[in-house]
This record gives sequence, C-alpha cells and structure tokens, in this order.
Amino acid sequence: MSYTVTIEPIGEQIEVEDGQTILQAALRNGVWLPFACGHGTCATCKVQVLEGDVDIGEASPFALMDSERDEGKVLACCATLESDVTIEADIDVDEDFEGYPVEDYQATVTQIVDLSPTIKGIHLKLDRGMTFQAGQYINIELPGVEGPRAFSLANPPSRADEVELHVRLVEGGAATTYIHQQLKEGDTLNLSGPYGQFFVRSSQPGDLIFIAGGSGLSSPQCMILDLLEQGDDRQIVLFQGARNVEELYNRELFEGLARDHDNFIYVPALSQAEEDAGWQGFKGYVHDAAKAHFDGRFSGRKAYLCGPPPMIDAAITALMQGRLFERDIFMEKFLTAADGAEDAQRSALFKKI
Amino acid sequence: MAIKNKKLNLKDKYQYLTRDMAWEPTYQKKEDIYPDERFEGIKITDWSQWEDPFRLTMDAYWKYQAEKEKKLYAIFDAFAQNNGHQNISDARYVNSLKLFLSGVSPLEYAAFQGYARVGRQFSGAGARVACQMQAIDELRHSQTQQHAMSHYNKHFNGLHDAAHQHDRIWFLSVPKSFFDDARSAGPFEFLTAISFSFEYVLTNLLFVPFMSGAAYNGDMATVTFGFSAQSDEARHMTLGLEVIKFILEQHEDNVPIIQRWIDKWFWRGFRLLSLVGMMMDYMLPNKVMSWAEAWEVYYEQNGGALFKDLERYGIRPPKYQDVANAAKNHVSHQAWSTFYQYSQATNFHTWMPEEEEMAWLSEKYPETFDKYYRARFEHWDKEHKEGRRFYNNTLPQLCQVCQIPVIFTEKDDPTVFSHRQIKHEGERYHFCSDGCCDIFKNEPEKYIQAWLPVHQIYQGNCGGADVATVVEKYYHINPGVDNMEYHGSPDHQRWLDIKGLKPLKSNSEKKSAA
Repeated sequence: MSYTVTIEPIGEQIEVEDGQTILQAALRNGVWLPFACGHGTCATCKVQVLEGDVDIGEASPFALMDSERDEGKVLACCATLESDVTIEADIDVDEDFEGYPVEDYQATVTQIVDLSPTIKGIHLKLDRGMTFQAGQYINIELPGVEGPRAFSLANPPSRADEVELHVRLVEGGAATTYIHQQLKEGDTLNLSGPYGQFFVRSSQPGDLIFIAGGSGLSSPQCMILDLLEQGDDRQIVLFQGARNVEELYNRELFEGLARDHDNFIYVPALSQAEEDAGWQGFKGYVHDAAKAHFDGRFSGRKAYLCGPPPMIDAAITALMQGRLFERDIFMEKFLTAADGAEDAQRSALFKKI
Repeated sequence: MAIKNKKLNLKDKYQYLTRDMAWEPTYQKKEDIYPDERFEGIKITDWSQWEDPFRLTMDAYWKYQAEKEKKLYAIFDAFAQNNGHQNISDARYVNSLKLFLSGVSPLEYAAFQGYARVGRQFSGAGARVACQMQAIDELRHSQTQQHAMSHYNKHFNGLHDAAHQHDRIWFLSVPKSFFDDARSAGPFEFLTAISFSFEYVLTNLLFVPFMSGAAYNGDMATVTFGFSAQSDEARHMTLGLEVIKFILEQHEDNVPIIQRWIDKWFWRGFRLLSLVGMMMDYMLPNKVMSWAEAWEVYYEQNGGALFKDLERYGIRPPKYQDVANAAKNHVSHQAWSTFYQYSQATNFHTWMPEEEEMAWLSEKYPETFDKYYRARFEHWDKEHKEGRRFYNNTLPQLCQVCQIPVIFTEKDDPTVFSHRQIKHEGERYHFCSDGCCDIFKNEPEKYIQAWLPVHQIYQGNCGGADVATVVEKYYHINPGVDNMEYHGSPDHQRWLDIKGLKPLKSNSEKKSAA
C-alpha cells in the first residue's frame, strides 16, 4: 500500500509506493531533493521528519548520527514510509509560488476541437472556479484508465471554470487514445488541481522567452494570455515549434495577439518545412529559431520551456550556450508513454534543468 | 510581499546565522587584500551568485565531526583489541595499505594545506568558508587514515615512516608532484584541479577501490575510516560542482581557461590513478572489480554524463580522453611489471600473480592480458622459482610532468613505448605522452623545476651513489624486510605463523630480517 509524503517548505504532496524511498518518490514526481551517493553514506539528502512514522533503512551511522536519529532526521535515499508523513527538506520556497490548495472538481465536456491532425482541444466546464497560477496543471481521471493523467491548463486564470486542455494522441497511450476516440461532449469527468511549479516568476525582472513544442503550447498560451491581460510591459517572445503547418495550431490566436500588443512577438518554426513552398517563416528546430532571433545571446532574460524532452534538452543547451543559466530557465517536460521510462544517466551538475 | 511561510528554509537560516561574518573593507582596497584573485585571468563579476554548498555553521560542524570521531575510534580500539589484522584475507593485502599510507594519506595533508591557503585568497566569503571547512576535513582524514593503519605497523613491516618516504621515494614523487603542482597554482586552478577534477570527477576511482578493497579483504578499520570520510566527501564533491558552475557562469572568458585546466588535471589524475589500477588488479587478494571495469563505471559512464551536461557551458570532454579510455586494458599490467622489477626500491612487497589470479586477469582482460602480459609474468615466475628473482638495476627515464617512468605504450600499439621529447632553451625534456608534453608546453617555466628522483640520484643528491644506499639511508626502507619479493619475506613468514601454517615464533624475532 502506498502513503503520502508532504514535503515542506514547498508543501508538495506525493504518493510513495510500497518499498520506494522518499528520494525515489520525490525525484520520480519531479520534486528535486538534494542528494549525492544514493545509498545512505553521504548525508546530502538528510531531511527532518515533522510528522508520521518512517523506517530509516540502511543509513550509515557516520552519515546519520545517533543524536540526529533522536531528533527525527532521516536520509531520504534510504527512508521508507510507515504512515503518511510530513518532512522538511533543504529546498527553497519559490517566493512567486502562491501555493493555491489542490481541490477536486467535477467537469463537463463542453467542446472538443481538432486543433491539428494529432492534437485536440478539450474544453471543460467546472462545477466551480479553480484558483491557479498560469502554467500549472491538473490531474484528470478517465474511465478505464488506471491512475490520473496530468494535462497543463491552456485557459488563463481569469477563465477560472473554463478549463482548456491540449491533448496530443500518443501511440499506445491509454488516456490520450480514450480522449481522441471516445470522449464526447456532455461527458462528465473528475479532476483535481492545481499542481506544479511551472509559472511565471513575476518577482524576477527580465524580458521573457517562451519556447513551446507540440501540445506543450498549452502552458505558454495560458501564461502569455495572463501576462497580457495583466498589462505586463516586458518584452515577450513566443517560439512555437511544430513539424509542419498543419501541426502549427492556434497560430491565428498568437498572430492576433502580436498585432494587438507591441511587447509581444510570435515566432513559429517548422522542422519539416523543406518541401513547403508556401511557408515564409523559420525553417528548422524551435531552439534554432530562438538562437537566430536573439543572435545566440540570451543573458538578462528569463526562459520558460514546455514540450517533449528532446525539445527541452536542445533548448536548454542553446540557452546556456547563449549565457542563460539554470536560475533563469524554467520548464515543464511533457513525458508520455512513448518516452523511455528512464532518462539517460545524468550528472549532479544541474538541479532542475 | 507577505510572508507565506513562517518557517525559514535552511538556506535562509544559514544566511541569517552567517551574514555578518564577512564585511566590505573601508581603508584597504579589495585587490590588495586578495592579491591572487586576478592573475590567472579568471573574471568574477558577482560573488553573491556563489551558492554555499555546505550550509553548515561551525557549531554544527564540530558537533557532527566529534560524533564521527567518537564512533570511528571506538571501532579502531575494538579492531586493535581483537587483533583485527589476523582476520584479513592475506598478508599481501597489507601492501596496498603501505601504498595508501605513503601515497594517499600525505595527499590528504597536502589538500589540507592547499585549502587552508586558497581559503585566504577569495574575496567571496562563501568560497572562503567552504575552503576552510574542507581544509579541516582533509586534516581529519589524514589523521584518521594514519590511525586506522597504525595497528598494522605493530605487526607488519614498511609502515614505519610514511610521511618521510612520501617526500623521497622515487614513485611517491608521482602523487607528491601532482599536489605540489596544484598547490603552487593560483587559487582558481587549485579548486579546478582538486575540488572538481580530483574530488568530483576522479574520486570514486581512488576511494572505491581502496575502501571496497578493504571491505573485501576483511580490513574493518580501513572500511570504517572510509564510511567516516565518505560523509565528508559528499560535501567536497558538491563544492567541486559549485566551483565549476560558478566560474563558468561568471564570464565567458573563463571557459577556455577552465577547459585548459580540465584537460590538464584530467590527464594528471588519470596518470596518478595508474597506481590505483595496479593496486586493484594485483595487490588485493580478494578482488573487487577490475580496473577496466572501474574505469568504465566511474569514468566512462559517470564522467560521460557529467561532460555531456558540461557541454552546455561550451566545455568539451578532456583532451586525450580517448587515449585514457583505451589504456584501461593496459595500465595496471604495465605499472605492476614496473613495480615488480623495481621492488628493491619500493616500500612494499611485490609478487607474481598466482595461477587463479592469472586466470582472473585473463577473464577480465580478454583482449590484452594473455596476448601481451601473461608470458612475461610466467617467465618471471619461473625465474623466481629457479632462484633468479628478477630485479632491474637500471634506473628508468621519468616523465618530466607526471614523473612516472616512461613505461606506458602507444594507444594504437601496446608493443611500443609512448615517449615524447622536446627541446626547451637548449635542454631536452622527456615525456610519457602527448598529454604530459602539452602540459609542459603550456607552462615550461614551472616544469623545468621538477625534482625528478632518478636525475637526483644520478646527481648524487640522494645520500649515496648506489641504489642500495639510497633506499636504506635516504628512503628509510629496510631492504629485504620492507620490500622486494613477498614470498619468503618476514611479513609472509609472520602471516604463516598467524594462520598456524608454521610454528609461531617468539615475539623477540618479530620484525627481523629475512
């Protein structure tokens, strides 16, 4: 059976499977905790248990002292849960994180739109408004699909009860197959939210770069709509990547926004446009479009990335080579059933990117 | 904005605890207070971007370290009282401790001195504090290693004067010159060399072999030291990463400087680790893994992931990494042959592998061992059994940079020695590789000063005109007791006594010559 661990000071709640360590569960759920050796000898992942029962596992007596055990310290890399638990870890609270509470909602499908040959726009009416930060996501339950699925909100917070999701059909993906083939207007679904740490850091100065790929446009769409509604006067550039012009959805929306707002620039990029004589825009990958637009220099800006892992990876590399570093880059990776279960081995050089 | 969390996080707590520990100077210029911060060409634009990787107050630090010491020494005491040395796998194992005590423990002390020095050089308070804490850690490691191994000194030969020997014995100039090179560099190069290249990239290749080796061979004292040190090492590795990220992000002009240092210190570290490779493959009676396997896991995989991430900063993998990767199947065999031949001048015993060990080497090195090394080893073994144990009396040519004899072979042909030479200001200098030759060419004025043991012996600066005198008088090695062939040595005899394979001798005969 599984238990829930609440990680303070950020307040993130995650499910810990039977036999899973706190660290494994946190990392798998996208919550970064400091760690190094991974087997109880270095103490980098030491956390304070505030509430609940924990088995400390194989922590080395040199890494976790007796006095610390008495104080309720554990090593996240070898500790397993024996009840629901609250821990405090050495991680930073983001001062821009509003921490709106997660609640359950009932949603009715109001409209299903074909955005592109592979992406549908799902519009849902909630039983009441949801307070969230632009960029966050919801978990939705689908009939016959085990466990909830995460989708980013594309509607701005001002449309609190009109949820809009962008869902790409993933080969072999149970949830996206259901949504594309069986879901119909009038269906009711349960969802919960808001979740996630992807939102605009309003307290941090600097012009904004958004890089979106595939259905990863949803979060940037929500964030940009919100920023423009709020009258934010920083320069905002959206780079939207797609394979071809059919996959480039919501183009009219952003072209319209670019006409209406002096501080918003829209740069679509098509990666398979070689034979498309009608395409006048950027041909190539979306990160190359960003490089070309800014002449390879990004310093002083903030970048928000949303899309599939290879796009994120290429974009981070391009940004860093243009002197924009981890503290200035925020991202939401869209992992699907089609992605490998495990990334390639990573070093401990970066925490979040 | 409104405070949403009443609780401070650990970073904030640490900042409040330490914020007044540094100050802006008023009547002296910063450049005068920190004169060494600039000459290497590293540009720091904003020290406040430094993220303290330790986040420990001195008070907490002492508390943790005191408890670690208490536990550690309780185990050392129990080990001594229970004659723990009798439970090791085989007395040949003790020779890897002799190598560690004379080759590695003094480096911990050198690291202590190095961090204490550079801890004074940075105008950023975070970096100063991190270096000072690491300095104290290193001093602790040096001390506890000596205490972990001191019990063996009562029962086996060759452990009696490690610090003196580190300064003088020919092959110990390899680790010594490595740290001397780093300590005589500027503060940023020191951190790149030791915190990043050594502590982060290569430390697992040093620590895992020795500490797992201890575990596999029943040496509880050293294993316990290993656990005690590992809890500090994580902090050191974190510092290594913070250092490299910080410097690379501060200014793009730093990137090519760091790249040159990474190239240099990777290569120097790789050469230094040949000693560890030999220890793993030949000196541990119970094997942990082969050197080639360790290199694959800890360098090719872990290092590969690191350098893939570093590419984002414009850093490429170290130059000559391909040569190092190809050498993993050769270095341990070539190093052991050298130590076997020159065992009259080492502070530990050597021997030829037993038949089952040869079989293990053949299995672990299917491409190289039988083809290039087995025949030589079988020949030496046969010679020894017929009363002609081979010792080489010709002193070898040393590399001007790494100070290892020019014994390693070409990447593409393991039957040809890799030997480079160049002329600098009318003098000819010799190198083991392009890697070492490049290091020299970047800073010839530094390396022409190298104190090369063989040259010094021939110049008459090492206490005598022949090897026997140098070894005994200058190195403080007891010939035939501390060194040379293991079989038939006093250590070997004592082990047979301990195991009841020969009648016990009286204590008065302990430590007598063979």
